[in-house]
Amino acid sequence: MNTTVAAERSRSQPLRLAALLKGERLTTLNLFATFILICLIFASQSDFFLTLDNFLNVGRTLGVVGIVSIGMTMVLISGGVDLSVGSVAALSGVVTSILWLQADVPLGLATVIGLGACVLVGFINGFFVAVMRINPLITTLASFSIVRGLAFVLSSGQTNQLSNPAFQFLGRGDVVGIPASLLLMIALFAAAFVVMHFTQFGRNLYAIGGSAEASRLAGIAVRRHLLIVYTLSGLLSGLAGIVIASQLASSAPRAAVGLEFTVIAAVVLGGTSLSGGKGTLIGTLVGVFILRVLDNGLVQTRVSSFYQDVVSGSVLLLAVGFDQIRQKLAAAVKDRS
Amino acid sequence: MTAPLLTMQHIVKSFYGVKVLDDVSIDLFAGETLALLGENGAGKSTLIKILNGDYRRDGGEILIDGQPVNIDAPRDAENLGIRMIYQELHYAPELSVAENLLLGALPRRGGALNWLIDWQQMNRQAHEALALLNVDIAPTTKMRDLSVVEREIIEIVKALSRQARIIVMDEPTAALTPPEVQRLFGIIRGLQARGVGIIYISHRLDEVFEIAGRITVLRDGKHVGTNPRAEVTHQSLVQMMVGRSIEDRAEVRAQSEAITPGAVALEVRGLSKAGAFNTIDLQVRAGEIVGLFGLLGAGHTLLTQAIFGAIKSDSGTILVDGTPARIASPQDGQRAGIGFVPLDRKVNGLVLDMSVRKNITLSNWRVLTRFGAFQRGLEMQHSRNWVDQLGIRMAGGIETHTRYLSGGNQQKVVLARWLEANVRVLLLNEPTWGVDVGARSDIYDQLEALAAQGLAILMVSSDIEEVLSVSHRILTIYKGRLTGEFSQSDATQEKLLHAAAGGQS
Amino acid sequence: MRSVQMRSVQEIASLVVMLVIIVVVMSAASPVFFTTRNLENTLLDITTVGILAIFTTMLMIGGGLDLSIGSTLALGGVIVGVYQEAWGILPAAGAAILVCGLVGLINGFLVTYVGINPLITTLGMLSIARGVAFVLADGLTIPVFDLQGTQTDAYTLFTQFGEGRVLGLDTPVAVMLALFVLALLVMQFTPYGRAMYAIGGNYQASNLAGLAVRRYRMIAYMLSGLSAGVACVLLTSRLYAADPRAATGMELTVITAAVLGGISLAGGKGTLIGTMLGVLILSALMNGMKLLSTSTDAQNIALGLVLLLAVGLDQIRQRNFNIMRFLRSSRLVPEVARVSPAEGSQS
Repeated sequence: MNTTVAAERSRSQPLRLAALLKGERLTTLNLFATFILICLIFASQSDFFLTLDNFLNVGRTLGVVGIVSIGMTMVLISGGVDLSVGSVAALSGVVTSILWLQADVPLGLATVIGLGACVLVGFINGFFVAVMRINPLITTLASFSIVRGLAFVLSSGQTNQLSNPAFQFLGRGDVVGIPASLLLMIALFAAAFVVMHFTQFGRNLYAIGGSAEASRLAGIAVRRHLLIVYTLSGLLSGLAGIVIASQLASSAPRAAVGLEFTVIAAVVLGGTSLSGGKGTLIGTLVGVFILRVLDNGLVQTRVSSFYQDVVSGSVLLLAVGFDQIRQKLAAAVKDRS
Repeated sequence: MTAPLLTMQHIVKSFYGVKVLDDVSIDLFAGETLALLGENGAGKSTLIKILNGDYRRDGGEILIDGQPVNIDAPRDAENLGIRMIYQELHYAPELSVAENLLLGALPRRGGALNWLIDWQQMNRQAHEALALLNVDIAPTTKMRDLSVVEREIIEIVKALSRQARIIVMDEPTAALTPPEVQRLFGIIRGLQARGVGIIYISHRLDEVFEIAGRITVLRDGKHVGTNPRAEVTHQSLVQMMVGRSIEDRAEVRAQSEAITPGAVALEVRGLSKAGAFNTIDLQVRAGEIVGLFGLLGAGHTLLTQAIFGAIKSDSGTILVDGTPARIASPQDGQRAGIGFVPLDRKVNGLVLDMSVRKNITLSNWRVLTRFGAFQRGLEMQHSRNWVDQLGIRMAGGIETHTRYLSGGNQQKVVLARWLEANVRVLLLNEPTWGVDVGARSDIYDQLEALAAQGLAILMVSSDIEEVLSVSHRILTIYKGRLTGEFSQSDATQEKLLHAAAGGQS
Repeated sequence: MRSVQMRSVQEIASLVVMLVIIVVVMSAASPVFFTTRNLENTLLDITTVGILAIFTTMLMIGGGLDLSIGSTLALGGVIVGVYQEAWGILPAAGAAILVCGLVGLINGFLVTYVGINPLITTLGMLSIARGVAFVLADGLTIPVFDLQGTQTDAYTLFTQFGEGRVLGLDTPVAVMLALFVLALLVMQFTPYGRAMYAIGGNYQASNLAGLAVRRYRMIAYMLSGLSAGVACVLLTSRLYAADPRAATGMELTVITAAVLGGISLAGGKGTLIGTMLGVLILSALMNGMKLLSTSTDAQNIALGLVLLLAVGLDQIRQRNFNIMRFLRSSRLVPEVARVSPAEGSQS
């Protein structure tokens, strides 16, 4: 018996090192350091970069990606993925503008109905994933295509004006100098943070992503949770679509093309695992900041906008690649215990 | 006399007209461990699934505390306090022990809405649940940082904390080392003291003798007998399970002539990997079966992986047939003439959705192809040959997917693959895990036949009876170092355990 | 236990039935649909998707996934356009194919050796390749023909790739069919094909069986990139132009066709014939809708619906999903009736 105790003790020592190497705290810290580094590089290249005006510029662009990435983080943590977010964002703007312009529905109500359409899409995604048990990638690939098509059909491919001061406030207005969309995003992040870390629902999502079987055996209503998560992702994407429409004072069926890529990149950059059960909203927030600041910095340093795709793709691969190598090292350390 | 906690009477169940359970009756008293034995296909799982409501019984009765109950769905079983602990554990790796224990029912606070998790309360409850069985694991530890046995213990604690009255354990020790098994048995005794009834399913007879009060044997869907532990012997149990007597291998071997092994086929010199094993020197001769015995985590599994190239070693040389081989990957190992039978054949050994034929030829395509294409006839002939020679049995012929084979036959397919690849050295890891008693002795026969044909076999096992009965020579390993070498004639259980626990031989 | 061969035969049969139904319905709806001319055009239209789908199928059977093929194709086209004068059109075309292969190789390296999730890797590469294409082309569509009139012969040859005819078939169609037959033979009769099925079926077991799993998988990614290169040359030659926007979203069509044809995202399953039927079904549907003058947007909707329908029906067939049972358990709580994890072993 003595020997086993000794063996366990000797095992725990290197384990602690492995835990440190693997710890999320370090990931988030690394990420934050990366973020600072990027800021410093741009600051040295452009005088305008480190100004309040520019910060507000960045802030204005954060909202859309940030809001959608909240839902995406939850979906990924639950073990799924949602590729339809960009299409859904376009749908909410299109539905809202059509109802308002062509059916004379009051703008407020039209917006609510537009969001409702997105909720419905999210619910249908959830139905196929949770109840029909179709692979989420396939399901949302299909709805990606269907919903984008719907947006085009409904709008006949046209861009519609949505100029209304109250409506535009969300996208263009400020509250005590802070962009309204940014405030909305922060509020949603705070709410989602509380949900994910302090409520049963949030912890259940981690459990479902970690092991759907364990959750089912523990009596968690797995299907209902997944339905809610995808519905929520639909709602948040719709909300982002409203923000876009409000910023542009118009709705276009082409809006938010490729948004799913930016959002997944931000979330994965923030340390959320595609295999589910792991990730934090804080990490996602930092991920969103990094991608947006990169875009902004490239503009400030007068790099051709064509380079933005190249840079964001490279950053994603580099970040995830380094993370992978670090994990391998940590595993090697653990092996030696 | 009090009514038994659980009675299953005259249970009958058929699938597609085939009777898999025929008038089976068992009873279980509070505070008792009842072992359920039988070969694969004997009906153990079906009986348990009926108890858990996964299957509906065709006939018979289930009584709890003497009262008839209806179990039509797993939820009914749950409400009656019946808990299953499966071999495969299900848990959320990123959540804490406490969260996993109370999963789905976390304590809450936050006033009237009551929507915030009460972490303090949660950890306290978890701590209490752990303390009930004297488990010393911090509730805040993440599940992924625990060892296998600790996860299993958490699963048991979880069952207990949800008012379990009956706990069914299906091969709970399959992945455990002897000291871990002892730790688990301590927990089981704690459960017994709390009046929980335990149904314990295992292939390992020595464990059954240690922990079970009574032993029930099923064979071909029929109840063969239930006896108190004191009234049965190892021999009589095997006879009940198999329906015929199986001769004691060790005795047979003692009578047969000592083998005369050939030249050294595998030689390992000073092989080291930090934290895993240290300056290992060993030789295996052609025609020889060398048993490598150690407690799990002693480094023997990693050692075989390193010899094969599945993991990297830090230093040392490996010689096959006297020629140094540079082995950095499984491909290198295979090329050097080494075959590797892994621990978990379903995960690491077979492509389950491929046919027996394709699995057998998986490691050796070169001789089967001409102009870059398979010669189907030749491939068929080669794989048939091994199916016949090893006696691989499958329902649907050689194109059956290996998924549908029994454990013993799956293991033979893995063996056949390496024989087809013409290896000189075979590294085996726990060759009979999850293989039932009858098939086990069949595999031993095959190994002996292969050795007789000149194959060098290094067999890692934590089953001491297996090591003693099959090996010509036995090495013990402790904390990554070889601690003893025994010839078959002077090896005993005591000596091996002593050496494997670090004692000087 | 169901015979596996039976299942795949059933799958193929149901795809054929689906294709026939679509063809019959479309022929009835539009007199133009079932004419030689239209069918030939349809075939020509599907060559790009078809070629990509062949190699995507091989990759997916091996458990991989490549979302970057559309972008890679655009990058290749742009390389042809940008360097046609400096290097000559034929060397530029060759270089384009090589670069596409290199992109695939990088994908493969990142997935197999660095260990990044394939979805992330190829999503990142999608962005990078498209970005580079835009940078090189400066965002413009580049005409591809002999502006200077100095390499007439070379251009004559180059245009043959897109517009010429081989054995009575348009060259792209002939190339697609040749690649298809070749791939079919490779998957059915060679160690490479066997390795793809084995690796997709169980990566770890294949590795421990001594297969060079990483190399095989990396080759599959490289082939996927190369196929984009071949497709881009055929397309550029046919269109006389290279567009950095080319083939946007084509990866989704390709994957849809593969999944429709019975390829599993988990790998190890499916056949090339299934994928080709998937491609034909999609294109018959799209072409028919075009003839009925439906907008391309409605075609997108149809694409998604067909995918969901195909996968959903398959799921219902496989799991005996019962809609009534679901409706009865109206609370949407997890259905409890199920078989334990250890399927197949019944003791």
